[in-house]
Amino acid sequence: MRVHLTVNGRDETVDGVWEGESLLYVLRERMGLPGAKNACEQGECGSCTVYLDGLPVCACLVAAGQADGRRVRTVEGLADGGRLHPIQEAFVECGAVQCGFCTPGLLVQAHDLIERVGEPSDAEIREALAGNLCRCTGYEKILDAVRLAAARRGAARTGTEDRS
Amino acid sequence: MDFLRPATWAEALAAKAADPTAVPIQGGTDVMVEINFDVRRPPALLDLTAIGELGDWELTADGLLRVGAGVPYARIITELGDRLPGLAQASRTVGSPQIRNRGTVGGNLGAASPAGDAHPPLLACDAVIEAESAARGTRMIPATGFYLGVKRNALEPDELIRAVHLRPATGPQYFSKVGTRNAMVIAVCSFALALHPGERRLGAAVGSAAPTPLRARAAEEFAAREFDWSGATALDPALLARFGELAAEAASPIDDVRGTAAYRRHAIAVLARRTLTWAWNDYRGKAAA
Amino acid sequence: MTAPVTAGRRYAGAALDRVEGLDKVTGRAAYAADHRPADLVHAVAVPATIARGEVVQVDVDAMLKRPGVVAAIWHGNAPRLATSDEELAVLQSRRVAYRGQYVAVVVAETPEDAREAARTLRIEYVAEEHDVILRADHPRAYRPENVNAGHPSDTGQGDPDAALAAAPVVVDEEYGTPAEHNNPMEPHATIADWHGDGLIVHEPSQNVSGLRATLASLFGMPPGHVHVVSPHVGGGFGSKAKTLPHTILAALTAKQVGRPVKLALTRRQLFVATGYRTPTVQRVRLGAEPDGRLIAITHDAVMQSSTLSEFTEQTAVPSRVMYAAPHRRTTHRVVRLDVPTPSWMRAPGECPGMFALESAMDELAIACGVDPVELRVRNEPAAGPESGLPFSSRNLVACLREGARRFGWAGRDPRPGVRRRGRTLIGTGVAASTFPALRAPSSATVRAEPGGRYTVRIAAADIGTGARTVLTQIAADALGTAPAAVTVELGDSALPPAPVAGGSMGTASWGTAVVRACEELAARLEAAGGTVPDGGLEVTADTGREVRAQERYSRHAFGAQFAEVGVDADTGETRVLRLLGVFAAGRVLNPKTARSQFIGGMTMGLSMALLEESIMDGRFGDFLNCDLAQYHIAAHADVRDVQAYWLEEEDPHLNPMGSKGIGEIGIVGTAAAIANAVHHATGVRIRELPIRLDKLVR
Repeated sequence: MRVHLTVNGRDETVDGVWEGESLLYVLRERMGLPGAKNACEQGECGSCTVYLDGLPVCACLVAAGQADGRRVRTVEGLADGGRLHPIQEAFVECGAVQCGFCTPGLLVQAHDLIERVGEPSDAEIREALAGNLCRCTGYEKILDAVRLAAARRGAARTGTEDRS
Repeated sequence: MDFLRPATWAEALAAKAADPTAVPIQGGTDVMVEINFDVRRPPALLDLTAIGELGDWELTADGLLRVGAGVPYARIITELGDRLPGLAQASRTVGSPQIRNRGTVGGNLGAASPAGDAHPPLLACDAVIEAESAARGTRMIPATGFYLGVKRNALEPDELIRAVHLRPATGPQYFSKVGTRNAMVIAVCSFALALHPGERRLGAAVGSAAPTPLRARAAEEFAAREFDWSGATALDPALLARFGELAAEAASPIDDVRGTAAYRRHAIAVLARRTLTWAWNDYRGKAAA
Repeated sequence: MTAPVTAGRRYAGAALDRVEGLDKVTGRAAYAADHRPADLVHAVAVPATIARGEVVQVDVDAMLKRPGVVAAIWHGNAPRLATSDEELAVLQSRRVAYRGQYVAVVVAETPEDAREAARTLRIEYVAEEHDVILRADHPRAYRPENVNAGHPSDTGQGDPDAALAAAPVVVDEEYGTPAEHNNPMEPHATIADWHGDGLIVHEPSQNVSGLRATLASLFGMPPGHVHVVSPHVGGGFGSKAKTLPHTILAALTAKQVGRPVKLALTRRQLFVATGYRTPTVQRVRLGAEPDGRLIAITHDAVMQSSTLSEFTEQTAVPSRVMYAAPHRRTTHRVVRLDVPTPSWMRAPGECPGMFALESAMDELAIACGVDPVELRVRNEPAAGPESGLPFSSRNLVACLREGARRFGWAGRDPRPGVRRRGRTLIGTGVAASTFPALRAPSSATVRAEPGGRYTVRIAAADIGTGARTVLTQIAADALGTAPAAVTVELGDSALPPAPVAGGSMGTASWGTAVVRACEELAARLEAAGGTVPDGGLEVTADTGREVRAQERYSRHAFGAQFAEVGVDADTGETRVLRLLGVFAAGRVLNPKTARSQFIGGMTMGLSMALLEESIMDGRFGDFLNCDLAQYHIAAHADVRDVQAYWLEEEDPHLNPMGSKGIGEIGIVGTAAAIANAVHHATGVRIRELPIRLDKLVR
């Protein structure tokens, strides 16, 4: 079947989609966007987290046809042109990245938290990231990265307000 | 495989009538796992996410909340947390934020897993499931009659779940579950409680401790009979303990990878006492005020 | 002999950001399964549905009639492989050694067709009775020649039985650890592609040189004809270190169909044929004076392996290193069952073995009325307790003291079950950690360009450890340049051969080769007047001789871990409130990546303590809970406060960097510290992991 969707701001049409396949498969195998990772195929690990119409979801549990006519944003679409989002910078800076396989999904989920909540509490961070499993880091540095990015994002926002 | 994407409810019913083997899909949190894992490959998927009205909820003329089958857990928490606190608490424990953005009560009912978190509060709150078919129209199925067995429910092959009807809380409601992990956990067992002080009774239901979620009838009857529903007095510890025992007796748990049957019985009694203590304290606080 | 390079050390020890970090946060880092070569076909491995027996027939003809199916291969039509190793002899025999063993592979144009074909392929078996449950008294338990890593099966000194019979205080208990699965976040996947007589394999690998050698020998060709590409590995923890059946299956299939083949394992398949930690049954006996001084230690461990090959985890080996005692014995027994072959999972041997030993030490502390920190200090050996070799450095006592100080251990009330916050019982526990500091021969090339840039080339692996970053730092120091001027190429078998990213010896092994190559390059540059010739200058080093000639020392890293737990008095739900580790592991080369290694290891230990357990289904012969909804690993919400510290440790007997490996020690002892804390909280001693709710509430 044919699926139309907007991915990272670009309108795309994909043909030959199998009816039972997931949005994750479409992104990775048909559109050449392998950022979202396939790690459990049951929504348990969050490695495939992408935005669907502005909400973070597990792309492995969205049937391809359900994404028809919808907006998708993946890790590849988080940076603003060449400029990384503060959450991407913070992940590198804080040592929140190890093997990197859980990173794309975590970044999308953390991005949503920061953009939605501003400066979340530790409890809010843990809760928001509860569905993103990481086997390497022990999560502590991920928490640090979200705190740092949120603080910087907050400072940037305040700076913007001051100028206006 | 066919992918059916009706734009309206009427089209959806017609599609289901035309092909009763078509599997409805909403948030995908059960159906897609089965497809991804090759557990089954249905001849058709019937995607209901394009039907806007399924994602709405409303207060009906008879004072009930009619929650569309497509309302995700995340919205139950934010939009209905005050009126359906038990269901909202259960929704908060479902999977992860990503899952709660997609998963729906309708889907939980359709899957009818004994471990589904939404079931105990639906039972405790006397929810009624609105099912519909093109041939026979609407059928109202009380939650108590909905769960027939492990992953089996009372739907006919040509029926779809349209909505769930619940009375806004008339008293304190609580949901509690035991899990090995702090989040993202399938319940070892769960318990929901809803006080209906106007009727001098409560609803109590157990999850993950029998082939189906079920009401703790004996515990409910005991509470209606023995508790001081004027709300004037604290619960006698003996009543609390007996309530827990009766709740545990309602279960017929098994040993599995998440816990032994004996542990589950024990834990249900704990959860029953715990939720009742919270609820009764709230109730007394209100009654006193 | 090999004095650490201290002069000119500017970058080793600095908290450099991960050099491939940008690629990983933008989604650009390419993992094996991300490759999409043209003309790709999809293969799905078909698992045996019996646990023991024979495949009689596979209905290939019916399968080939299905639309989209390209091939169906089984023993009856598979190409022959050159091996006598049954583990590697994929599709070479009718025998089924365990449920889930690959008995066929189907290939189709699309993954959905391949999956459907695999699901519906008709296979006829003759099933035999199977035996899949490990018991300590299993009649077929036997003493293997050696255990993993070449250790002898049994060791002993003095007369431990007599000493135990006469000891004033005795602890004699049985401990158990379950089967556990590595579960790296990245599932294994292979893309195999033949070009003429050469094979290219995209595969997440901890050992590209080893994989190349094995594949070359299986397909009867020179190693140079195999090219393993593995720039990024999404975690391994041992499960991507050996050559695994699915890789061979993919290579064999690609050869047969003459097109590139993708074979991506599902998470569920990871639970079958990518290795796992064996379950263990361990008996530990400690005999002591009333003041806690050990007179005797015995540690007897029973493990399982498959009927295909003997893999015996070195479970009792840490008891040969930890504590002084005149009378001692360690033994290993293995039972060959109709199960998949267990393999390496983070700290094989030390991890399950130290759960038993360090739990027993806690029980001894209670029996003697001695503080558990003090008990360990009292039994500190002067030299290797069995080897008699001097320790190159040993700072266990300092770790215990520093950990106790940071944790606030002083004044701890030893009584169990007396601290409550509401309905939560609170307790604290301690355990020691240890891991050997190993090194293997490696080669490395460094190349200087006229513009001042350097390229280090080495077939090492960065499985998330930070190897690429740390080798960059090591090279920058050895070359006297900045890390930004150095590019490290690794994860490719075309690079100079290097040993496995395993045994916590990667950095020590590869780093030595990098330093030697850089030193040689610097010397040649100096001889040439300091100018890089137009064509560049390249030097290769091989550390075989250096490593083989190293002095005999007992080389180990040590640590101490402290845990505070809260246990719900009614439900038994256990939460680790605090976990604090102090480690002495030589020089820490990058505090940023090192901290994550320690904390990550400790968190996996927490996960092991409370959650992880692969349950064997005796009836069917496979693991019951083979997905991430049923096999729980610690989630963000389970990890509240994990802290790692380390002591500055000068050790001139290690390698040019002065470093000990840190990838595994973090998981060693954690589970014991937590179980000891649970006992302190509740009075319930859990000797069989994991610490499940239903074991605490009876």
